[in-house]
Amino acid sequence: MSGGSPDPDVSTRDATGSHAAAGGRPPAPPRTGVSRGELAMVVLLGALGLYLLLDAANIAIPGSSNTIGPRFFPYLIGGVVLATALALGFRVLKGDRGPSDESEDVDPDAPTSWTAVGIIAVAFLGHAVLINVVGWPLAVTLMFALVAWALGARGVVRPLLAGGVLSVVVWIVFVKGLGIALPGGTLLELATGWF
Amino acid sequence: MGALADLLGGFAEALTPVNLLFALLGVLLGTAVGVLPGIGPAMTVALLLPVTYTLEPTAAFIMFAGIYYGGMYGGSTTSILLNTPGESSSIMTALEGNKMAKAGRGAAALATAAIGSFVAGTIATLLLALVAPTVVDLVVGITPADYFALAVLAFVAVATVLGSSPLRGLASLGVGLYLGLVGTDVLTGQERFTLGIPQLSDGIDVVVVAVGLFAVGEALYVASRLRRGPVQVLAASGPWFTRRDLRRSVGPWLRGTALGFPLGALPAGGAEIPTFLSYAAERKLTKHPEEFGRGAIEGVAGPEAANNAAAAGVLVPLLTLGLPTSATAAIILVAFQGYGIQPGPTLLSTESTLVWTLIASLLIGNLMLLVLNLPLARVWVQLLRVPRPYLYAGILLFASLGCYAVNADPLDLLLLLVIGLLGFAMRRYGWPVAPAVIGLILGPVAETNLRRALAISSGDLGVLFDTWFSRVVLGLALLALVLPVVLRAVRGRRATPEELQAGEPLRHRETVGAPPGEEDER
Repeated sequence: MSGGSPDPDVSTRDATGSHAAAGGRPPAPPRTGVSRGELAMVVLLGALGLYLLLDAANIAIPGSSNTIGPRFFPYLIGGVVLATALALGFRVLKGDRGPSDESEDVDPDAPTSWTAVGIIAVAFLGHAVLINVVGWPLAVTLMFALVAWALGARGVVRPLLAGGVLSVVVWIVFVKGLGIALPGGTLLELATGWF
Repeated sequence: MGALADLLGGFAEALTPVNLLFALLGVLLGTAVGVLPGIGPAMTVALLLPVTYTLEPTAAFIMFAGIYYGGMYGGSTTSILLNTPGESSSIMTALEGNKMAKAGRGAAALATAAIGSFVAGTIATLLLALVAPTVVDLVVGITPADYFALAVLAFVAVATVLGSSPLRGLASLGVGLYLGLVGTDVLTGQERFTLGIPQLSDGIDVVVVAVGLFAVGEALYVASRLRRGPVQVLAASGPWFTRRDLRRSVGPWLRGTALGFPLGALPAGGAEIPTFLSYAAERKLTKHPEEFGRGAIEGVAGPEAANNAAAAGVLVPLLTLGLPTSATAAIILVAFQGYGIQPGPTLLSTESTLVWTLIASLLIGNLMLLVLNLPLARVWVQLLRVPRPYLYAGILLFASLGCYAVNADPLDLLLLLVIGLLGFAMRRYGWPVAPAVIGLILGPVAETNLRRALAISSGDLGVLFDTWFSRVVLGLALLALVLPVVLRAVRGRRATPEELQAGEPLRHRETVGAPPGEEDER
């Protein structure tokens, strides 16, 4: 109902801050019905509870212990997790939805872009594999550029250049300055060997 | 008066050139990451944990103190000048701050936030110095059973009171407790839940979990629904802080501090509730009710002061009991443990110099923030314009650095990604992240104390309710578990910030229709 103005841009300047100016457009109506994603989270939580309860039985107890041993706390947590999963599952099946997290850069009305998440996850995985092969700066530069492209950065050179400069500077500060172990790759280690 | 002498000793330690340099570094870093959306003090301290391997403890904690307070300052700039809703503790500042900036009074809004943070931070830090020795005297004879009760209270309070959905908070806590179990049992040396992977027998590193949940999780989540298009930054324009602004701000600053410090110091700490209460109080007390919703300076001054006072309050249970009640406090606790220091009732006597230096440098950092940030405001505003693709790519770069630096093992990066995906899913489906971190760090402490208590009583569970202390604390924990559910059933859901701005009463934890000035019934 708020505002009801067909053109959200009109009132931003002269309405002296009435709430049409705050959000731009009225918020999308809350989605209803059972969310499959939430259900998946609950099932995973329940599985975690079961795993804790079942695997706790495999923890070896040294013979000498006369009081509660290493199994007690896992049983306790497993029980709490399973109970929480059951209660939450009940709520979710009744149509309850969690409020998704707010952040300055998040568009609350945007649908989830699983492509972006997938690309970033793969880029991160790739750099983890590459670190010990080509060194941290090069691996992380590739990751940086891929993530920037997935988030809408323009051009080919700029993301690579930004990532490259940043990673080399960070590598020099942390490795040469603070003495942290980080493979630099053959080229960079040769170039800074005199340091 | 012992506290005063100790505090002066702390100043003597903190005022050396090298330590001042670390304070400055911390303050600048903290403000920068506070201004940048998507990065918070918890993640920054987590990323910097590896420096504790090379730095001596005093310098490290002075830097962390600067980051802790600096992050609060930076957050207010973001919430006032970015035209988008932000994280929960700064959301009340944003309500009126945004409106002020739009009406051409951005400079005044930034000033009242900065000076208010300084006033609240200074008063609350002095209160911390005053209260801490007293609390230590009270809890010095604490038994393992009492300590277990305190940990349970912190678990329940963090899980159910902070988030908007108590069950999802408990779920998140459970995940954190599980992550804390993985590894070798300290008391018997047995491996638990390691899946036969040798690297896991040392446990999952806290840095990996914290960076995964906060940095990678946040980057993935923001990436999944990024606000496209150019970033809208409001101008910090208009007349600077006038005498009239000052007159209108002083009351809210002091009331915000009075609300923030005690609520932050309770084991159910956190900044969200005091900022809500402060906003509601100022709305009722103001002489200019017509300005609320259009940029009332009281609505910026009060919540911002409450936010900072709560941050100092959180340090009371951390330094006196070793009990973290916020994500940042939990990671500072890890830094203590990294130096082989166990925070707890004995901390103030065994590590007296370190603690008082930490408190003194909080005061110094607070002053630095005021002096630096009034002139530097324009520089920080530039940070808000960083193109978002580069910002989040950069966050991932630093996450990789901080995580790999711990063990130099690529497997950690794999684990980081898995935990990051978990953090993404938690944000996506409304599970709060902080309870998981608290569970991971406090879980092992709770287990050790529980088993120690039961070893003394040779297995009799009655020992857990033996002292009055533990009975009261467990009673409070039960209350924190049940009360939100009951309140929800009786009064409906909590008012949203927007409803609060429109003048509706704050339904949870506030006596509806109370006469002005009686807000702080706790």
